[in-house]
Amino acid sequence: MTNLINIERRLRIAGTLIVLGLLIELGSLLWSHPLAFILFIVAGGLLMAAGIIVYLYSLVSGDDSVARKNSEVRPLSEA
Amino acid sequence: MFGPTSILIAIIIIAVVLIGLLIIKPSITVSRGGKVLAFVSLLVFPVLGGSMGVSEHIERSKSTEFCTSCHVMKDYGKSLLIDDASYIPAGHFQNNRVPRDAACYTCHTDYAMYGGFRAKLRGLRHVYAQYIGKIPDKIELYNSYNNRECLHCHQGARSFEEGATHNMEEGRLDLMKANKLSCMSTGCHSATHDVKNLPNLTFWSPDKAKKDAAGAADEVDAGSNR
Repeated sequence: MTNLINIERRLRIAGTLIVLGLLIELGSLLWSHPLAFILFIVAGGLLMAAGIIVYLYSLVSGDDSVARKNSEVRPLSEA
Repeated sequence: MFGPTSILIAIIIIAVVLIGLLIIKPSITVSRGGKVLAFVSLLVFPVLGGSMGVSEHIERSKSTEFCTSCHVMKDYGKSLLIDDASYIPAGHFQNNRVPRDAACYTCHTDYAMYGGFRAKLRGLRHVYAQYIGKIPDKIELYNSYNNRECLHCHQGARSFEEGATHNMEEGRLDLMKANKLSCMSTGCHSATHDVKNLPNLTFWSPDKAKKDAAGAADEVDAGSNR
């Protein structure tokens, strides 16, 4: 995990949050009770929203580790 | 064959599988195809699944089973089976004047602009009262029952418009239509859920009714064969 670049780490976090949200949604669909709706909205909805925000953030923030690497001054001999 | 719930479950499973692939190997997003996969599985499917989930849950909240799943509403559900058609909810439920699977919602929603939305908000308030707040000792409607809800189905029906009692005096029908004379006035359709008297009442059982009808038919057959 440590050798993953930032965007990949963020995608994993986003994916995990969304999967958890979707699994809660799946569970709530199999449970016919007023609390199932609350569970779906509060837990499932929040996790999915958080995952989507992390994903969108990973798109707009770009990969600063790659940018940093590219901005490093290379010795002339390597060029 | 495939209802909305099945489609929604399929979408969730597909999304989980695709996201699982992305979690295991996030480096696939380097390629164009991988970026599309990430977009579809992390944005399109969750948004689609979430909105379909909200719609499905809202639809489920209209069911009689849903309304009577809270302990406090059990007796109100039982009152739909009172073996006396003069009880309005029981008469409507047993004679399919309202859809049996959405009996509570059909009579207790507001047939006005945003009525369905207001009914959902009231439902959330009930869930709050059930689990966090305090259930009132006496369960009452927020406002007196509006004739509009009855007229949503009955207005224009011959039995309503030409009913002898409804036309007993000049202008009575107009007063009812204007909600100035309640359909549930004493002496009219005042027998409703009456949960306090449930122990003293008898109940209709659809299965028992079928068995009784079958038994009666057998007796008739046996009599004709004699």
